[in-house]
Amino acid sequence: MDDQKLAFFTTIEDQGSVIVKEIPKFDLDLYIQNYQGRTRFERLFHIGRSSVPLCVDALKAAVQEAKAGRDILRYQMAVNSLFQAAPNEPEALLDKAWLEAQAKENRDTTINLQAELQGYKNNLIKESIRMGNEDLGKHFEAIGDLEAAMDSFWKMRPDVSSTEQLVDIGKLLVRVAIERHDWKSVSNHLSKHVNSANDSDPKAKALKTYSRIANGIAALGQERYKEAAFSFVEASSDVAPEVYNQIASPNDVAIYGGLLALATMDRHELQVNLLDNDSFREFLQREPHIRRAITQFVNGRYAACIEILESYRPDYLLDIYLQKHVPKLYADIRTKSIVQYLKPFSCVRLDTMQKAFNGPGPSIEDELSTMIKDGKLNARIDAINKSVMPLSTNSRQQMQSYALQTFENYEKQSLDRIRRMNIMAADLEVKGSRKPGATNDIPLSMAMEDAGGLA
Amino acid sequence: MDSRLTVLTAFPPAAGIDNEEYYKESQQHAKRVRELLRDNAQWIRESADDILKHVNPAVCSLSYLMILEYLLQASGWTSQQAHERLASYLTEFFLQFDARQIRCKGSIWSDVLKEVYNEHSLFPASVAVEVGTAALLRLDPSGSILTSHHCNLVELAYSTGNVGPVLPLIQKPIIYMPAKGMSTTQPLCDMSLPPPAYVNPDSQLTDGLTSFAVLQYDFLCGLCFTERRMWQQAFDAFERCVTYPTRDGGCSKIMTEAYNKWILIGLLLTGKPPALPETTSQAAKKIFATQGKPYKLFAQAFKANTAGNLVREFEVINPELLPNEGNVELAKLVLAHYQRWQIINLRNVYTNISLDKIRELTQSAETGGPLPSVEAVDQLLQSMIADGSLRGVIERPTDGSPAYLTFLSAPTQGLSEVEFSAKVNKVAQGIKALEPIIEATNKRLASNREYISHTVKRQFDAAREHKLGLQSAGGGFEESPFHIEEEEDLMSGIPAH
Repeated sequence: MDDQKLAFFTTIEDQGSVIVKEIPKFDLDLYIQNYQGRTRFERLFHIGRSSVPLCVDALKAAVQEAKAGRDILRYQMAVNSLFQAAPNEPEALLDKAWLEAQAKENRDTTINLQAELQGYKNNLIKESIRMGNEDLGKHFEAIGDLEAAMDSFWKMRPDVSSTEQLVDIGKLLVRVAIERHDWKSVSNHLSKHVNSANDSDPKAKALKTYSRIANGIAALGQERYKEAAFSFVEASSDVAPEVYNQIASPNDVAIYGGLLALATMDRHELQVNLLDNDSFREFLQREPHIRRAITQFVNGRYAACIEILESYRPDYLLDIYLQKHVPKLYADIRTKSIVQYLKPFSCVRLDTMQKAFNGPGPSIEDELSTMIKDGKLNARIDAINKSVMPLSTNSRQQMQSYALQTFENYEKQSLDRIRRMNIMAADLEVKGSRKPGATNDIPLSMAMEDAGGLA
Repeated sequence: MDSRLTVLTAFPPAAGIDNEEYYKESQQHAKRVRELLRDNAQWIRESADDILKHVNPAVCSLSYLMILEYLLQASGWTSQQAHERLASYLTEFFLQFDARQIRCKGSIWSDVLKEVYNEHSLFPASVAVEVGTAALLRLDPSGSILTSHHCNLVELAYSTGNVGPVLPLIQKPIIYMPAKGMSTTQPLCDMSLPPPAYVNPDSQLTDGLTSFAVLQYDFLCGLCFTERRMWQQAFDAFERCVTYPTRDGGCSKIMTEAYNKWILIGLLLTGKPPALPETTSQAAKKIFATQGKPYKLFAQAFKANTAGNLVREFEVINPELLPNEGNVELAKLVLAHYQRWQIINLRNVYTNISLDKIRELTQSAETGGPLPSVEAVDQLLQSMIADGSLRGVIERPTDGSPAYLTFLSAPTQGLSEVEFSAKVNKVAQGIKALEPIIEATNKRLASNREYISHTVKRQFDAAREHKLGLQSAGGGFEESPFHIEEEEDLMSGIPAH
């Protein structure tokens, strides 16, 4: 790594961002071809600021992508980053002429579209007002003013004349909300505007797939992993990628769905919902390693599953939506694998487990110890004989202790409540002056001196 | 026998009379004895020893009590020797008296008992506490009602360092509080009466109490138990202060002091910060959140794997808070127990673990680091095993390999059907024993204005719901067994915010 790049990534790392030093397995050009719209820049820029090997290529592509659009802020950000990482690249020099011309054009277009919209409003033509708001919203979105775009799209609602138009508005709002990473809004707009009951109709099917993918991304963003997994699994591979490639690609559906399912579903659920699901299998064919990882997990070969996933960790760390969740998802998958691995045994030697789950983290003994402490694994470690023994749950004993505990708590709580009732009935509560914080008794230390003042 | 002695032994009457008759006779007897004492003052003063020999305190308790009351005020009984004799008679009386007779003359009993524990008492504090405890438990063996005597006794016990003798009393769960207006139409000597019906300011077996007195009682109980290292009981006592009922945003200083101690004892008892019970009032929660914050942070630090935070938090609260609230020793004990709890919790992870690993995994909060050597770990483990806090054995292999700790596991098999059934029966009896308590509380609440208005409101709401249910089901209100006047609901139609 040259000095500029080193300084660039040091700054980024200091800001708490993730840096990926390994070479990813995907090809940047092929990868970005899967997407349309503003997500292309977002992804390129994210890779440029995360991946050491792809930094310059991704940022150069991001500069070109920004320049092909109308968002001058994005262009400035991309050039600025590229200048820090590789100042000698021709794209690292700011094209001021283009910038000024584009800024002027953006201003003019805004004024024109606003004037047009005002005209429509004066004429009270609902359809024109709706379209005027849509044009203005799309313009704001293109120039990067997402809040104004959201506002304009929202203003289209009173002027809709068909369900399809309402659905279109919903999709526009969802797209902008995803770009803003406003996951709650995504879920709200999806439930309000974008839903379809009829699966047989191709349009409805496309809409459902769009909705499921968008909902999956939003649930992932909110760490509702199981819901996200089921959302992705319900996407249909019959629907053309163009329907949803402004937010995700079919490969993303396979990766997001596969990883989330591995982290949250048991072996039976994985078999039924993923491997036996014809539609999702189509997605999985685009990412065969994910399919392999799932198959290995279902077949009880957990170490192999983890090995596959580890080899793709750098790729997933470069994904805009997945990056933040990779450590947690991987940890969950690993924990689940260890728990499943131990299930059939009464005692397992630690060195056998160390070989099976030789991960990058701490030693297997420490890992098991943390899992037991966190309540994720019911086992005990014999640190002398270097083995781990899963504990079988004794339902009968649990039931007995639970029942006795419940009786005892009932008696204790009843007595306490009766006592409280009697205090209140005797008008002995501590009374305040309706001001929280008021204290109406003298301090105990003073009271102790004043013995005899009880009555 | 002297006819005067016959008067003194004339009560109690022979068995077979009802409670009303018994009560009436007790009052007449008290009157007769009063007259006898007035008319034969010299005889009583001079022959008290002989008289009291003839009057059995366990049988003729009322006469005995009235003679004692007279002697306590009599001019001839002020010498040291007389005091010693009087103390002996008082002890004899309070250990044997008939509680039924005493209920008929509560004021005299209370006055004489106060003489046992007041500051000019004839007894040393240790004896006063023991006699007072015995007297209170004789009056109400269930120990379920708090009296002003309880409050005074526990204060005397704690301030004079005589906690032991008062333990039988303060270990009884207090359920009832004395209140005026609790007098019953039944005679007080009716032995089937629940404690609040005969122990109240009207019967003069106790004085009235204030919320401060009740709180102080629980607080002092907590201090007594703490002194005895009875952590569970201390925790419960402080918890009663913490969850004490409040109204109109009130919260007492004692409650916040109790909260701080409750946190520290919770750490000692369970090894983790205690969670506030649901019954804690909102106002108290707010005050605890601000005034108890340093203690809460200290407790949070107890959960950490390393002792550094705990030591830092201790240094924050140590200079000012702890000495002011008398919690220095308690907090130091918490520090000492930090590593012990770490070791105890290792049983949830390991079956066998080397002493070296224990040294590596645990830290002393007194030094802020690991123990200096494996030998120190060995010593700590031995002390924990000896005091019963750790169920385990230190194995020392003969092949020269290092010693290790084996945790002894609890029996994995559940109880047999017979054992389980016996345990369930035992707790079921405990729950069944609540019935008379609930009945007594119900009776008591029946005269409480707020409770009555609350009950009427609930009945009214239930009737209204029933009516709405009938209407929605197509039935008319005429079919309802409830006939309640319609009332305009001014709040209906206002959306909730």
